[in-house]
Parts: sequence; structure tokens; C-alpha cells
Amino acid sequence: MAASRPLVSVYNEKGQSTGNSVVLPAVFRAPIRTDIVNFVHDQMRRNKRQARAVSDKAGEQTSAESWGTGRAVARIPRVRGGGTHRSGQGAFGNMCRGGRMYAPLKVWRKWHRKINLKQRRYALVSAIAASGVPSLVLAKGHSIETVPEIPLVLSDKIQDLKKTKEAVGVLRKIGAWSDILKVYASKHTRAGKGKMRNRRTVMKRGPVIIYDKDNGVKKAFRNIPGVSLLSVERLNLLRLAPGGHVGRFVIWTESAFKKLDALYGTWSKKSQLKVDFNLPQPIMTNSDLGRLLKAFEIQSVLRAPIKRQARRKVKKNPLKNISLMSRLNPYAAVQKRRTLLQQLKGRRTGTTAESKIAARKERTHASLKTKRLSGVNLVKKTKKQQIGATTTTTTTATKTTVSTKSS
Amino acid sequence: MTDTVKKMDTKTTTKKAISKVPEVLLKKRKLYADLKAKRLRAQVQATKNKKYKRLVIFKRAEQYVSEYRKKERDLIRLKRSAKVRNNYHVEAEPSLAFVIRIRGIRGVHPRVKQVLRLFRLRQINNGIFVKLNKATVQMLRIAEPYIAWGYPNLKSIRELIYKRGFGKANKQRMPLSDNSVIEKALGKYNIICMEDLVHELFTVGENFKKASNFLWPFKLNNPKGGWRKKANHFADGGDFGNREQYINQLLRKMV
Repeated sequence: MAASRPLVSVYNEKGQSTGNSVVLPAVFRAPIRTDIVNFVHDQMRRNKRQARAVSDKAGEQTSAESWGTGRAVARIPRVRGGGTHRSGQGAFGNMCRGGRMYAPLKVWRKWHRKINLKQRRYALVSAIAASGVPSLVLAKGHSIETVPEIPLVLSDKIQDLKKTKEAVGVLRKIGAWSDILKVYASKHTRAGKGKMRNRRTVMKRGPVIIYDKDNGVKKAFRNIPGVSLLSVERLNLLRLAPGGHVGRFVIWTESAFKKLDALYGTWSKKSQLKVDFNLPQPIMTNSDLGRLLKAFEIQSVLRAPIKRQARRKVKKNPLKNISLMSRLNPYAAVQKRRTLLQQLKGRRTGTTAESKIAARKERTHASLKTKRLSGVNLVKKTKKQQIGATTTTTTTATKTTVSTKSS
Repeated sequence: MTDTVKKMDTKTTTKKAISKVPEVLLKKRKLYADLKAKRLRAQVQATKNKKYKRLVIFKRAEQYVSEYRKKERDLIRLKRSAKVRNNYHVEAEPSLAFVIRIRGIRGVHPRVKQVLRLFRLRQINNGIFVKLNKATVQMLRIAEPYIAWGYPNLKSIRELIYKRGFGKANKQRMPLSDNSVIEKALGKYNIICMEDLVHELFTVGENFKKASNFLWPFKLNNPKGGWRKKANHFADGGDFGNREQYINQLLRKMV
């Protein structure tokens, strides 16, 4: 892993940088797997559920019996007896009024989920890593424009705060108050039945303060709306990635920040506080897509982009389309020109009826001539006429020549 | 893993500041410049080739015209000279046939079906050029009631190829709208243009099989003016079977 681990400055409770700086823990360079975070969050969220079910007896507290066939009524069990509306009404079925529901809910439904330890840890590590990426934190919706640095590390003095007033002062000084204001602004009544179930208001989540030793931090910060408190040793994915989405605004205390390396390890060193755990390996060593796409090694092997697709062209008939014909057969133009010239000169080109008749006459004339002279073809014809003659002979062959082959 | 950014020396004493260009960009520019140069050279060569080819095609077409005429006149001359001596000139049996499938797909005898498949006549009114020899003539005899065939003349061949000619290029049915289609497929047999193709088919040449196979089976129209009676042999006033030179009349109506 050639990921850089820069120095992170520590800020005091007045929002000024103290001289100290801490090397960024390796956790912040772990792969951010939002899919794992989403899954684990989803599973973890089920673990706080309380069982609910419908009474076993609901809908069964009748002695209804079906009337059977032959009474012009549907065959569901009906309540016995008389003297009340209830008598003769359908009972027991899920379709019946006052009947038992379909598949009555049971308390032994599986409410909680087991999650693999490795997965849990992976998700947590991803969530921590995401909290160190300002764009992800902004995307989550936190107001961190006035915060001096992400990850935000405050000195350990924070851990000793006792008064909420002081806590508020600290948040103001470090520029995190706008996030709290957002929380105030987001307070509204819940939609749904939760309203009447003691979950009346909802609001956004603000920053989470992660401390090492609680000397009063918890009590100081807990009344500020939106703020969550977490001990570094007991980090909670439900707080670090609320809603299953990574990138919560985290405020670390110095000792908490320093403990992260020991807790999660660096790739070269295993975790000291967790048994047999090291940070997950990323799949790509270099995931800088922009860089990769421009890299010479990749660019030189790519084929040229297809900017113009070859589309289907309508086939044109060269026998009618002159330009297409000349493209296919450059000699055709010459032939055509000659034909036209012959036509203009009034000579036979072998294409008109007159020329056909004339050609036939000439043939008979020629055959007579050859009878006198021994076999020598003395008929003088021009090139075009001969061509004309050939075409006529073939088309009128039906009349004059004897068919030599029978089918 | 990270590429170093190549920085030009800006500490020179020249007045102009040299811009810093990343190495990646420089490499890309060089690559593109090389490609462009190659492309332009290829273009120039291609136009030269094109010009030369056109000349070749022209010369060939001219030569073929005289060749066809010569063939025609030779035959006539031989016949006439024989007649004069009260002798007979028996011309060679035709070596080229054009076969059209007349009947449809349904209820075909398997033997006939196989023969038609071998001839690539899988659809009604499909036509192909066939070299006539003992083998093919016997095949035609098997499939006789399903086909109309005969001896095409030059005009028929030209009309078929120019108007209805499609070639097999990369297993696709490509229209013969440019000589390059023909050249790509049959260039190695010295057939580079439409006229070459026509010549190869008309004078059943060495590479007739390749030329005829390159051509996709012709998809013809129903004859304008109709059939006589598809159920009978041509000799019985119908349409199927060998109709020798009358195939040309039929083709005028079908192409």
C-alpha cells in the first residue's frame, strides 16, 4: 500500500491549531466499501427490535362450526346459537370479520441478526475511512465548510468538559456549529404512527464526538441536538454511518485519534487491541481512475474510437443510376457514349425495332454473299453495329436458329 | 505507481517562460501525431491505388467487350462456313446454367429438399448460377419439378449482377454497390470488379465456383405477366425444367 499518510493537526478548544500533529491512522486509507456498510448497517439495525405479535387467541375464541352444504350459504364456519347479530356470522377464517388473521404473528420470529465479525469490522473500517474524505462528508449533508480540517482532531481537553455551555462554545469555535444549526432547522414531526408512539419528533444527525476517556464529555455534549458520543474502543456503525450511508462528520479527540492505529492496525502491523485483525486489502492498488485512463500504458493499447458508424446504405440500381454505373464499370460510360453517337449519326445500334429489321436483312444478305464466296465473312460492319447485331441475334434467336438440345 | 510530472527547466535565463506539460500529454500527442502521419500516408497510397485500379478495370472491361463479340462472331462464322460446305457445326454443350426455384417450401420430398439446399435455393424465386457437368445435371434432374433453368446470355447475367447482385462478405449479404466488396472477397482470384465477375460467370472460368459462391442467391421477383403453369414441364406448356435459351425471356420478366 503506497497510500500516503499525511500529518493531521490537532486543534484546541478555541479552534486554533496547537503545535501538535498526528500521523493519519492507516484506517483512513482502508477501502470504502459502501455495499458492505449498507449490508452490515441493515443487519445491525434489526438488533434493537422488540418482539411484537398478535394474540394467539385472537379470532379463535368462538366455537363456530361450518353448516356444511345444502343450506345456500358459503361453507365457512359460522357462530352457533342465536339471539344476537353474531350468531350465524362467519368465524375463524382470515377473510371473516372478527376472524383470525392469516398467519398470526408469532414472537419467535427471528428479530436479530448475526453478522460475521470480519464483515462488521470491515464495515466499521470503511465508515471511519469515509469520515476522513471531505467530499463524502459533504455529500452526507454535513455543514463542514467552516471546519479547519477533516479529519477534525481536538485536544484531549475536550474530554474534561463538564458544562454544555462550554461544549457549545467549543463547537462554535471550531466551526462545527453550522452543522448543529442544520439539526435545529431539521426538527419536525415524524410522519406516520410513530407520532403517537412516543417518537414524535425527528431531526438530522450532527457531528459525532469520538473520545478516549470520558471525563465529562458525554454529559457535556449529550444535550446538544444532533450530537452523538462514542468511545473509540466501542465504535458503533449505526452512529458512524447513520442510515447505512457513509460520511458522518466526526470530531476526534487526540488520544482517540492516536488509538486508532493500535485498534485497527496498519497493513504492516496487526491490530494490538483486536484479536487477529488487520485492515482489509483493497482490490486495486491504484484506484485513481482519472490517472489510469490517461496513463500511457493503457492509452497506447486502445483502439481508435469509432466516431462514425457505418450505416446501411440503400442499394441503387446501376443500370438506371449513371454515376453508380461509372463507379462500378468505368468503361460503361464509353459504351453509352458510343451508342448515343451511333444513334445521332442514324446508324444502327441494334436497340430499336428498325435496326433489328435492318440487322436481319443484313444477315440474310450476308449469308447469300457467303454462299458465293467460300466461307469468308466479307461483311464490313462497324464496331457498334456488330455489337448491335450480336444483341439482336441473341434475342431473336428464338425465331431463326434450330434448337439443338432437347430437355 | 505515481507518474512523475515532467517539469521543464524554468530557471533558464531566457525571457520566455516554457510551459510545464505533463509527460502523459506529451506521449499522447506524439502517439496521435504518428497515427495521423500513418493515416495520411495510407490515404495517399490508397488514392494512387484507386487510380491504378480504375485504369486496370477500364482496360479489362474493354478487353471483355471484344472477347464476347469475338466469341459470338466465331460461333456464327463456324456455323456458316460449315453450312456452306454442307456440313454441320455442332457447337459445344452449354457449361453455364441459371437455376430458379419455382416452388415453395411445403411438402418437398427429402431428396429434392437436399438437392435444393445444396444449390442454395432455399426460398421460392431464388436463383443461382450453376456450372453444368454430369454431376450437376443429374442433380437438376432430381429437383426438376421445383426449378426452372436454362442457359443465360450475357445480358441476363449483367442484369442479374448489376441490379440484383449481393455478395457474401463476412457472412453478411452485402450489396455490390462498390467494387471493393468484390475485390476483398475475390481479389486473390484476380476478380476485382463487376465486369470481372460477369466475365468469370459467362465464360465459366477457373474460379467459377468461388465467384458463384461469393454471390448470394439472387432474390427474384415473380415474373411480370405471370407463369404458364408451374405444375408442368416447360415442354408441356408449363414452367419447370430446362427451358434452355428461353430462360432469358423469363429473367427479363423476373429481374
